[in-house]
Amino acid sequence: MMNVKVLFFANLRERAGSRQVELDLAPDVTVAGLKKILLEKFPALKDYLPTVLVAVDREYAFDDTVLSDGAEVALFPPVSGG
Amino acid sequence: MTFPTICSITHTEIDLDALLAQITLPSSGAAAIFTGMVRGVTTRGEPHETVYLEYEAYQPMAEAKMKQVADEIRRRWPVVEGIAILQRVGRLYPRTPTVLIACTAAHRDTGVFEAARYGIDRLKEIVPVWKKEISPDGEEWIEGDYIPKAGE
Repeated sequence: MMNVKVLFFANLRERAGSRQVELDLAPDVTVAGLKKILLEKFPALKDYLPTVLVAVDREYAFDDTVLSDGAEVALFPPVSGG
Repeated sequence: MTFPTICSITHTEIDLDALLAQITLPSSGAAAIFTGMVRGVTTRGEPHETVYLEYEAYQPMAEAKMKQVADEIRRRWPVVEGIAILQRVGRLYPRTPTVLIACTAAHRDTGVFEAARYGIDRLKEIVPVWKKEISPDGEEWIEGDYIPKAGE
């Protein structure tokens, strides 16, 4: 097993009702696999996950990105700073 | 001489004079400064009023991506000397400055205006900051439309 930290921001944080969760995952889970697991834990994210942006260890990541033990994964909507 | 680069998420008021002092070198003769503020009354598009904006950031990634924007500016405009990129977060009311991009160079005709313009445009694409708009009628997260590509 491996452990990853998942952070939620903006509307994802509000929908999940959580800023941060830690998950134990099978090795070599991808971002796409993590999204499936998150959907089971947080059904309220259903409408948001298709368009969500993902960062792994503070770099943009994509569905085929493979997670490693200790990864910090962040989920958030397209950015709107300025 | 090393060129100063300041990249920061801040919870306090943006101090333009202090920033300018930090990015002005003996060889600097021009600074292009962009600042954005909370607009209380919007007339373009769907006219509406804003009571305040609530900003949040993924701070460590935001500051790393600001640094990346600064690096991109330096690659495109090697004449740029100092760079400051700041984003204020928290609850910000109309007329309050929220973001600042400043670039210094020896002269104004060196591309320094374009460099600052590029900085704010890129910040709005890749720096993980979000804002929720609170209007008299309710609240809504503002969502961008840029999808970063691999390596951005």
